[in-house]
Amino acid sequence: MKTPPSLRGRLMRMIMLVVPLVWLVATGISGYAAWHEVNEQYDGQQRLFAQQLLYSSRAFTRPAPPYEHGEEGEVDHMALAVWNTSGELLMSDGEGLALSPHPDFSGFLTLDTEEGKHWRVFYLSDAHYSVAVAQEFKERWEVVRGLLVAQWLPWLLMVPVLLILLWRSVARGLAPLERVREELQHRTPDDPTPLSRAVPSELAPLIDGMNGLIARGAEMLSRERRFTADAAHELRTPLAALRVQAEVAQLSTTTKARQHALGQLTLGIDRATRLTEQLLALSRLDPLQTPAHLAPLRWQAIAARALEEALHVAAERGIGVELQQSVPDAEVLPLSGDETLVGLLLRNLLDNAIRYSPDGATVTLVLAADHVAVRDTGPGISAEWLERVRERFFRPPGQSQPGSGLGLSIVERVAELHGLALELENHPEGGLIARLVRA
Amino acid sequence: MRILLIEDDDMIADGLKAGLGQLGFVVDWFRDGKSGLAALSGAPFDAVILDLGLPGLDGMEVLAAWRRAGRSEPVLILTARDALPERLKGLDAGADDYLVKPFALAEVAARLRALIRRRHGQSGPLYLHGALSFDPVARRATLSGEPLELTARELALLELLLVSKGRVLPRSLIEEKLYGWDQELDSNAVEVHVHHLRKKLGSGFIKTVRGIGYTLGDEE
Repeated sequence: MKTPPSLRGRLMRMIMLVVPLVWLVATGISGYAAWHEVNEQYDGQQRLFAQQLLYSSRAFTRPAPPYEHGEEGEVDHMALAVWNTSGELLMSDGEGLALSPHPDFSGFLTLDTEEGKHWRVFYLSDAHYSVAVAQEFKERWEVVRGLLVAQWLPWLLMVPVLLILLWRSVARGLAPLERVREELQHRTPDDPTPLSRAVPSELAPLIDGMNGLIARGAEMLSRERRFTADAAHELRTPLAALRVQAEVAQLSTTTKARQHALGQLTLGIDRATRLTEQLLALSRLDPLQTPAHLAPLRWQAIAARALEEALHVAAERGIGVELQQSVPDAEVLPLSGDETLVGLLLRNLLDNAIRYSPDGATVTLVLAADHVAVRDTGPGISAEWLERVRERFFRPPGQSQPGSGLGLSIVERVAELHGLALELENHPEGGLIARLVRA
Repeated sequence: MRILLIEDDDMIADGLKAGLGQLGFVVDWFRDGKSGLAALSGAPFDAVILDLGLPGLDGMEVLAAWRRAGRSEPVLILTARDALPERLKGLDAGADDYLVKPFALAEVAARLRALIRRRHGQSGPLYLHGALSFDPVARRATLSGEPLELTARELALLELLLVSKGRVLPRSLIEEKLYGWDQELDSNAVEVHVHHLRKKLGSGFIKTVRGIGYTLGDEE
């Protein structure tokens, strides 16, 4: 796996890149400025020196003796020469011998000698004499170089210090992250306490985000745990029934008693199967935030399928199931959703309605523009339990029909996912109406 | 032994009633807390099986109400909740024993027998009277080591007499102990059973207390 870029490494790399660049530019600028200044300075000195030399030449009576190398007072990189108007050398130092006369010329010239030296030469002439004062460029370069080195040195010394300081300050700035990591590593998944917000302000949004996640995760975990515990307990009752009936079947001495127990066993297995299916349905619904598939709901098709599936159980008890539709197909509670889930919802409502209807009664599925409802003609639900029946595993007392107490929880969960609300209401003429409306 | 069963799950109750019936108990079943609460005073029950998750009046409330009213019948709690605090709560509320669903029928029977035995101050598993030995678990009686052929009702009557050693049992109480509310009985059923037992165990085994009922004869 590629290691993700390190913040510190990136900062360091950037500084290593930027600092030399800044240096280079700074050096260029200050080198140029220094060169300019040095030239101005030395040119001025050369000019002054030439004037003095020309002035003092007037006192010459005869040519000076030729210059000999190694004479005392010889200065490298400097040269001077004095000529008369006819170009005859009157005086020069060793280096000055290489200069050529330019009578009647005043001004600067650049001279490259055969030895590879570059000279800056200033000529000054009057009616009798012409003088030249020369300086090697190398001399000027050295001054500039000295200046630049003097400037570079503190930089060079500072950079490692700067890098170390930066490294440490970034490390210190990131220390809270390390603490957060430590905290996260040792935390149990269900711990709902938020992370400390004592971090640099740049990290605060991250911590806030994580705290939100932690809160949601802990909430979900505790809900699932509660659900699992409830489910385990709810499974115990059908299991106890199965066990006791199985034992009765074994103990029974008469065929009639044994047949009865075996019949009860079969019913018990059906009941446990249904409970398991309901539990599975709910456990799949629980983590969903939105329906997995979204498409405009075709209520007629869903209703037709749900009715068909309910028909068999209903027919066994002579219960009629009918569809009532008051508006054209396209106008039935327009909604986007998952047809499988909505089908599950309708089946649960129909199942409940059939279960609690007296034999031979009629169950009605209503499709309207603003609601979808299932109505039965059973006993309804007494007012005190009307809200509680939505609770998981809750069943109103005195039920003769078997049930898991999960059907309405499933209905409500699917409704919630689709932005619908489940309304439960006893019909004035008897029976229960379960109505789905927009929340 | 007559047992009061308060359980809201039809299938469990049906099984317990049939199964415990096979094991020599007479079971009366009530579906909810309210009717169960009142039922305890309605017949001479030897023990109660109480489900905790009852609709309406919760099992724990029923138990508390009985204990407040001074009822001392042994109570065996049945529940789906097995956490320790739940069990402690049940026992502290006055339950005598606690079984977690799913349970074995034999265990329910054994615990009921133990509860009833303890209530009558007997700790051993066998009832002994003279040469007679009665095993309530195996539903078997022997006389001087010889096995006896007894019907279920005769065994129940024998158990009742042995448990109530030293007391006179009115005829009506015997009827109530041997028959549940939903069972048919002939007016002279008790006399018939007593007659048969005397024939099998010896005439001195059961004494008639004229005008009151029956009691166990003296040990020989």
